[in-house]
Amino acid sequence: MTAMETTSTSRPSRESGLLRTLKLLARNKIGLLGLIIIILMTLMSFVGPLVIPPETQAHTEQIYKPPSAAHPLGTDFQGREMWKMAIHGGRDVLIVAFLAGILTTLVAVTVGAVSAFFGGWVDSLMMGITDIWLTIPRFLLLVVVATLVRLENIWMLALFLAFFGWPGLARQIRSQVLSLKKREYVEAAQLLDLGAPHIIFREMLPNMMSYIVIAMINAMTSAIYSQTGLVFLGVVPFGNNWGVMFSLAYAKNAIYNPNAAASLLVPMGAIILFQISLVMLSRSLEEIFNPRLRTGV
Amino acid sequence: MSSVATAGPPKKTALDYLEKIWTNFWLRTLVKKVFIVWIVVTLTFFIIRALPGNPVEIMVMSLMDSGLSSEEAYARAASLLRIDLDAPLSAQYLDYMRNLLHGDLGDSYVLALNKPVATLIAQRLPWTLFSVGTSLLISFVIGMFLGTLAAYRRNSFLDHFLTNFSAAIESIPNTLTAIILVLLLGVTWKLVPLNFMRGSLSPGIKPGFTATFLVDLFRHYAVPGTVYVFSTLGGWMLAMRSSTISTLGDDYVTVARARGLPDMRIITAYVGRNASLPLITSLAISLGFVVGGSILIEYIFVYQGIGLLLSQAIGKRDYPVMQGILLVTTITVILSTALADLLYGWLDPRIRISGGGGE
Amino acid sequence: MNQLTNAAMSQRTGAPTLSVKGLTITYQAKRGSVQAVRNVSLEVQRGEALALIGESGSGKTTLGLGLVRLLPSTATVRQGELVYRRTVPGTNGGPGAVTEVDVLKLNGRELRQFRWKECAMVFQAALNAFNPVLRISDQFGDTARAHGYLQGKALTDRARHLFELVRLDPDRVWRSYPHELSGGMRQRVLIALGLLLEPQLLILDEPTTALDILTQRNIMDVLKELRQQLDFSLIFISHDLSLAAELADRVATMYAGKLVEISDVYTTFKNPVHPYTIGLINAVPTLTAHKDRVSSIPGSPPDLIDLPTGCKFHPRCPLADLRCRQEEPELVAVTGTDHWVACWNWQIARRQLSNGGKGGAA
Repeated sequence: MTAMETTSTSRPSRESGLLRTLKLLARNKIGLLGLIIIILMTLMSFVGPLVIPPETQAHTEQIYKPPSAAHPLGTDFQGREMWKMAIHGGRDVLIVAFLAGILTTLVAVTVGAVSAFFGGWVDSLMMGITDIWLTIPRFLLLVVVATLVRLENIWMLALFLAFFGWPGLARQIRSQVLSLKKREYVEAAQLLDLGAPHIIFREMLPNMMSYIVIAMINAMTSAIYSQTGLVFLGVVPFGNNWGVMFSLAYAKNAIYNPNAAASLLVPMGAIILFQISLVMLSRSLEEIFNPRLRTGV
Repeated sequence: MSSVATAGPPKKTALDYLEKIWTNFWLRTLVKKVFIVWIVVTLTFFIIRALPGNPVEIMVMSLMDSGLSSEEAYARAASLLRIDLDAPLSAQYLDYMRNLLHGDLGDSYVLALNKPVATLIAQRLPWTLFSVGTSLLISFVIGMFLGTLAAYRRNSFLDHFLTNFSAAIESIPNTLTAIILVLLLGVTWKLVPLNFMRGSLSPGIKPGFTATFLVDLFRHYAVPGTVYVFSTLGGWMLAMRSSTISTLGDDYVTVARARGLPDMRIITAYVGRNASLPLITSLAISLGFVVGGSILIEYIFVYQGIGLLLSQAIGKRDYPVMQGILLVTTITVILSTALADLLYGWLDPRIRISGGGGE
Repeated sequence: MNQLTNAAMSQRTGAPTLSVKGLTITYQAKRGSVQAVRNVSLEVQRGEALALIGESGSGKTTLGLGLVRLLPSTATVRQGELVYRRTVPGTNGGPGAVTEVDVLKLNGRELRQFRWKECAMVFQAALNAFNPVLRISDQFGDTARAHGYLQGKALTDRARHLFELVRLDPDRVWRSYPHELSGGMRQRVLIALGLLLEPQLLILDEPTTALDILTQRNIMDVLKELRQQLDFSLIFISHDLSLAAELADRVATMYAGKLVEISDVYTTFKNPVHPYTIGLINAVPTLTAHKDRVSSIPGSPPDLIDLPTGCKFHPRCPLADLRCRQEEPELVAVTGTDHWVACWNWQIARRQLSNGGKGGAA
């Protein structure tokens, strides 16, 4: 038993795996760029607010000033500096994205792996529940239930998004695990009677790590996608994040006012930039981990 | 010997019927689908009614806004709405289910007083079906074409560009895409007059097979339609690309080239047909989600479809309408999933024979 | 470039169907250039069956693909000549007019017409060789139409005739989908399809690998019958020596991208002179040899990107000397025969390496 433990694919390979991944990523410039932007924007959103005080006052004398040296990114309908708003606006969005992404992935992986591994009635039951979830168009459900459950803060929003987001991913994880199940090392582990949790979490999952990481990044993009829509419909109003910024700007008809363009474009740009960076990272990782997509022999 | 042979066939017991249903694949699926629909309807019934605020209160609020006192408002609301919200929930539920089985979706509480929900839905549904459906088809066709192109020119500049572009567009929230398009087309470049970006039809134009109607229809469809296409195009392109790449690696493609078959024939009948199989089922399923995919866009463009109706109903807590829409949506999705399975079975001879595979 | 004397060869019926001269094919991999086929020359006469034997990684499949120019885009033909000749039967039963085709110079359309009509390549594991969504009849139809061959009833009749030759029931097979047929059946259908357009050259790549023993036997018998009934040359690529023994007229052994020995089949089994061939023969147990007499060749095939110096077999060769390590030997004729070998020490090889006689059938 101890021999198995020391040779199982846990600590040593994962560390060098991370290092190896980073090195491969360095060669794939787009992904690296994405990662850098993500890191920068995260820093900006979490460290920035500690340095730059938030804009709480309205400055009616400088409403809708276009971008200039004095107002680097222009001002909004209350005369607040867009660049300061942008720095403060990221925190909520990113927290929801990270949290929802992690939660969704955790639940989906557990459900999918357990379901695929045990098969039989466990599988049927879990997949049955998943199917019911998947039958109703997701956004419809989100909107309806969001009105029901008064979402007080971003933590609840993240939970909420994860609650509705896991079924889709669970199905994919399940099919991945099903295909892995047929591999010999799983059979070997089963013969050695290593116990289901061990097999699932220490034999199969480490081999699916790359898939899981990519799934998590995709869950994050999905969370941002839904979040934006929900905020826009006014179903989750709080804080002063990017989503709220541009919804308000739109509500104030900033489209039709050329001077107001900044108040609309800055938050939109921030969201789009972060989203695209996530996608670039995700695609590069996919190329790295799936050799069939790579060039050359 | 006694005439045992002439005893006649044994009576079919209820158990026998149940067994017959369980063993026959099609019947079993049907039962499962009906079960899902029932669960969804029941869940939504109770969840919706658990929403804070109810129609009476909301109406009272708006009546009070226009100057009535609270007693007057309540009295007015009660008489207008003619519903008994104090009846126990279970009785309401049974009532609803009974009506449902007669095909009666109930009447609207608030939005269009006492108009049958079914009528409301029937009025709005075609608009959504048209706009989202058309966009779906356009997006699918373009996506398939671009995906095949990218797969054949794999790792070329074109491929990299298309793939990254698709992935990027795919991830931008459709709200943002919509606003960008409105900004560019309507305001900056002034290509589309702003009144074509509100509503589904110009006032005064009647639906019918007239040129005026069709022209106006398309004018109002153009921008929202483009938004739909943009936000879904990437997905189809990437899916077709990966499916085609996978098919190109299959032996029979190499053998087909070894047989000296012309490229066009290989692209269509050998690669194309096999690569698009999984996509066609996706398409069928997407058709089912047509109904749901439209809330945000219809909201922005004030397009008179199901999505807009739903968001209005939510705002006014119009329970029957909300339920009706969710019910219709669920049924559409289930139908389209079943259709997708059938379609796949029909298209892929490997599955045809076994009469549908497992779950 | 080595010299092949055509003297012995051209005494046979007419000009050789296929002449390969100095063919060199490389792949581009991330690590470097894979030298899959290095300066290979051989000839296949009309109606002859040539077995191309080698381990995995010897380059034999690449050679096969190269002959019909079906190489992937990462591969390039660096140099060489590939000439195919179609001989029309003459008026008095002997060879008639000969048309020569330089395969490497064919353009797109010409290449497509050449493929399958003049030379058909049947791949190994025909499990996925057919389009799953088309019936067998449609796929035959596609092939025929692409070459302006028979259509309709004439095509069906010809196909049925071919199915009978390969021992298949035409009714069972013609209208069916590929997945409805077993692996062995699909292999036979593919062979029938290969013969549809009456090619002069049929290339089989591992025709019996991945098939069970009984099916293998079936296919072998079918191939033998076909060779008797129809007029075509055959190249088959395999690692299975018993196949060569049964089917081939001549055997060519390939190692690390190069031909190391080529001779008629009896000589290959009775009197091999290249250490590698000897090793291969010795590695096959026979019914009567003592089990101690079975050996294997130590080591493994070389990395085709990073080949050793001199003779590529020297790391595994018991006879390797200084010259072997420095200079790569070219094919030379074993005195006075049509038996060629690429080895510096071939003369002593047979004496030193044989296991003292192999009993039983070769």
